[in-house]
Amino acid sequence: MRKSRKKLITMLVAEAILIVFTVIVTLPLFLAITISLQKPETVFSYPPKLFPRSFHWQNYVEAFRLVPLARLMLNSLIIASSITLGKLFTGTLAGYAFANFRFKGKEVSFALLFATLFLPAETVMILPLFLIMKKFNWINTYWALIVPFTASATNTFLMRQHFLTIPRELEDAAKIDGAGPMTYFRKILLPLSRSMLAGASIINFVYAWNMYLWPLIVTMEDKMKTVQIGVKMLIDAESANNWGVIMAGTVVALAPTLIVFLLLQNLFVKSLVRSGMKG
Amino acid sequence: MRKLLIVILLVSAIFAFAKVKIQFWHAMGGWRIELLQKMAEEFMKQNPDIEVEVQYTGSYRDTLNKLIAAVKAGTPPHVVQIYEIGTQVMIDGDIAIPIEDLIKKDPTFDIGKFLPQVLNYYRVNGKLHSMPFNSSNPILYYNKTLFKKAGLDPEKPPRTFEELIEYCRKLTIKDEKGNIVQAGITWPLHSWFFEQFVALQNAPLVDNDNGRSGRPTKAVFNHEAARRFFRLWYTLSKEGIMINTKKEDWTGARQLFISQKVAMLISSTSDVKLMMDAAKENGFELGTAFLPKPKEAEQGGVVIGGGSLWIIKGHPKDEIEAAWKFVKWMAEPEQQVKWHLGTGYFPVRKDAVEELLYKGYYAKYPHHLTALLQLLFSVQTPNTRGAIIGAFPKVRDIIETAIERMINGEMTPEKALEWAEKEATKAIQEYNELYE
Amino acid sequence: MKEGWGISHPFFGGEEVRKILPYILLIPTFIVIILFIYWPAIYSFKLSLYRIAPFGNRMIFVGFKNFAKLFHNPEYINSISITAIYVVSSMLITLFLSFFIAILLNMKLPGNTVYRTLIFAPYAISPAIAGTLWTFLLNPVVGHVNYFFSKFFGIQVEWLTTKPFALYALIFATVWKTLPFNIIFYLAGLQNIPDELLESSMIDGANAWTRTWKIIFPLLSPITFYLVIMNIISFMFASFAIIDVMTKGGPGDYTTTMIYRLFLDAFVFQRTGSAAAQSVIMFIIMAIVTIVYFKFGERRVHYQ
Repeated sequence: MRKSRKKLITMLVAEAILIVFTVIVTLPLFLAITISLQKPETVFSYPPKLFPRSFHWQNYVEAFRLVPLARLMLNSLIIASSITLGKLFTGTLAGYAFANFRFKGKEVSFALLFATLFLPAETVMILPLFLIMKKFNWINTYWALIVPFTASATNTFLMRQHFLTIPRELEDAAKIDGAGPMTYFRKILLPLSRSMLAGASIINFVYAWNMYLWPLIVTMEDKMKTVQIGVKMLIDAESANNWGVIMAGTVVALAPTLIVFLLLQNLFVKSLVRSGMKG
Repeated sequence: MRKLLIVILLVSAIFAFAKVKIQFWHAMGGWRIELLQKMAEEFMKQNPDIEVEVQYTGSYRDTLNKLIAAVKAGTPPHVVQIYEIGTQVMIDGDIAIPIEDLIKKDPTFDIGKFLPQVLNYYRVNGKLHSMPFNSSNPILYYNKTLFKKAGLDPEKPPRTFEELIEYCRKLTIKDEKGNIVQAGITWPLHSWFFEQFVALQNAPLVDNDNGRSGRPTKAVFNHEAARRFFRLWYTLSKEGIMINTKKEDWTGARQLFISQKVAMLISSTSDVKLMMDAAKENGFELGTAFLPKPKEAEQGGVVIGGGSLWIIKGHPKDEIEAAWKFVKWMAEPEQQVKWHLGTGYFPVRKDAVEELLYKGYYAKYPHHLTALLQLLFSVQTPNTRGAIIGAFPKVRDIIETAIERMINGEMTPEKALEWAEKEATKAIQEYNELYE
Repeated sequence: MKEGWGISHPFFGGEEVRKILPYILLIPTFIVIILFIYWPAIYSFKLSLYRIAPFGNRMIFVGFKNFAKLFHNPEYINSISITAIYVVSSMLITLFLSFFIAILLNMKLPGNTVYRTLIFAPYAISPAIAGTLWTFLLNPVVGHVNYFFSKFFGIQVEWLTTKPFALYALIFATVWKTLPFNIIFYLAGLQNIPDELLESSMIDGANAWTRTWKIIFPLLSPITFYLVIMNIISFMFASFAIIDVMTKGGPGDYTTTMIYRLFLDAFVFQRTGSAAAQSVIMFIIMAIVTIVYFKFGERRVHYQ
């Protein structure tokens, strides 16, 4: 009797902690939504509000009016999806190579690939990368916004770890059946990796969706810009701000990443479970 | 014969519709994007042979970085808005066509119509390199309602540092635990305010006449005028009668004033409209005043802030001409009035001010008059013209760091200022190494 | 060591094809990283040997002077120590907190899916926006956090403008942003541990604490191994955005990490040569850290 009592208490405490934790974690999101629904003059009143009292939808209308948000979101969608697919493509192939093959130079090439994590694009490399874009004549094109980001050490690493956990027996069975390495890859390995691919997709999509500086530098027309630039456009650093409208834009800009996560999250968590992300 | 005619017609049609395209990059976000777009469209209506592509290119800082990348790649825009402290960097980069050169070739343009204070900022070594466009000053905003509640005369804003401290003491309300419920004043922790209060006392920031008669070689702002301001800031902070924001936090400061957590705010004149609306919505009476000065200080003036328009080299002649037409047009009184009404940056020309005056504008909006008068009353010396420093962004950061350290009790005002001057000199010398 | 389609297995397509297959698989990735990461990187690294004017119209070769200057600069040394404190603190808090929350989520209590979904939010929000929102929440006088604090604890903290709270606030925001990534991986790992293992330890009389630390955590060590290095990389290189919005490196350089200093020199002060030198230094530091990490860390990882 006491044991189940203890269990109940543990569960209640756990539930309480989870609730508090979730609330704290989602505070900023609530705040963004609340501010996005407030009238401009009431945003800074005291005491501070966490839940909207009014539903000033005009903020959203205004955000779409001031900035071509729809077009920008479309751009971001195209770019983020392409980058995601690109990274999945290169990452699975490379991860396969590192996990299932022995070849000369394997360690060196893995190290070279891993080292790219210490060379982030959005800092010192922006200028040389821009000059390269000029050489290719890619300035102000989707190419410049997509291609440089289609390979990723993170993806490769992730897929490699995952492929390493697939039992050798499956490989041997495939060989016995007369399947070649690429057939094995297509027909057996990939299907087993669905969830890991889902997880990698989330990571890639969010990364690409949140880029700001590179798209700013490399686009030369408003219609090529991305949604993060759009949100920045709503902000007016030196002068008056309408935080209601800014947050409306922010919430709109946030929505797709949350939606992508919602769609893919079940796959992802289940994946790590089934394939056993052990290492 | 008919074929030839058709060809001639087609070709001339093509030429007739061949517009000159120019690119205009700016850093004005928010509703100002729309305003600039409308102005550009108006220009295009009046000049059907020119097409202006207006692009918001991020903050001032982002815009400069984008410009650098574009220049290095050989694809610069035609017209770009750069912040005032980027003036020396732009000149040293040798990438712009000085506006002065274009004025000399254009007899229709009368530079005399511009406010001398504004011209004086953007004239370096006697030459006007860029076209003044959006100019602002700091002013003191105060909450008349809270003044009355504290027993202060709402028509008597503080005029000296001493009065300011006294007022803040009276306006600060703390609860039993010593937490601030309402403080006297706030302003963004920004070097701009330091520069203004130094200029107000007619003191320099750097040598060589504030960089006006030659490249500055060292910082010279460790003087009594600067110390007075640092001490003021230190005293206000230590007594807890001022709320400090983080670096360059314009929004934070505005937020505090609008929510009536502070009774006074020092901020840009471009906030006038916002403050007027906010006061109405939040139920308090707004007052504006000149910046207070130390009693014993010399009469100086305020320095222009904001940005200007630069025309970039490397374009064919007809595009440069179109760019000049556009820049000229943006500086015309009609546009300046529109810009002022829409943003709060003041019009940079005398005739625009005149127009507003006759329209009864200043009678209706006395707060805008405050800003303008403060500017007009400024004595014109190298100290009030604004410093010209290549390494200005770094110098600003140093000053802001010094202020933060002083407020946090790590350094006394005197030590902080001394340190800042030393570091600023280092930064200036490092910059100059490239141009020896 | 996993042996794969090594050379020793004869196959359709012949030995030659399969000898070069791994290289072919790597081609897409390597084309991209050589063209778009290494090529710019080499160019950047070259710049570290020069003093360059903002618009590039003056270039002076200075050899290693940029590097020497950095190491003689007390501010740079300071940023190294701040980075170390920031990375280590954020790492420890993130790991242990996410592990703990993952355990709670693994208990499949009511509302589990809701929590799991909502907890993802910080990951989706861009650092700049996250910083802005936290700045609002942490405003000393009108912010929600202090409203709560003053009502319940009677104190009013100046979160972003004083030491040491600015660093706390920064670490807090960083941990907040990194938790979802970590929680999800730990959660997956937990769901992989066979229940029998957990049950058997209960029978052994092991109490919850021992159970967690002596059994479960080591079982998840491969995940921890992965997360630690990924977190370090994230804290080292991606933190500048959130610092720029929340504290701008202040107060008084207190929260200026190495990457933020690099960001300032590259994009605000236009000190291109010094910024390039700093990126070289960070590259070397991370290379060393990674090598050491893989060599010694892997030993402590418990594979099944």
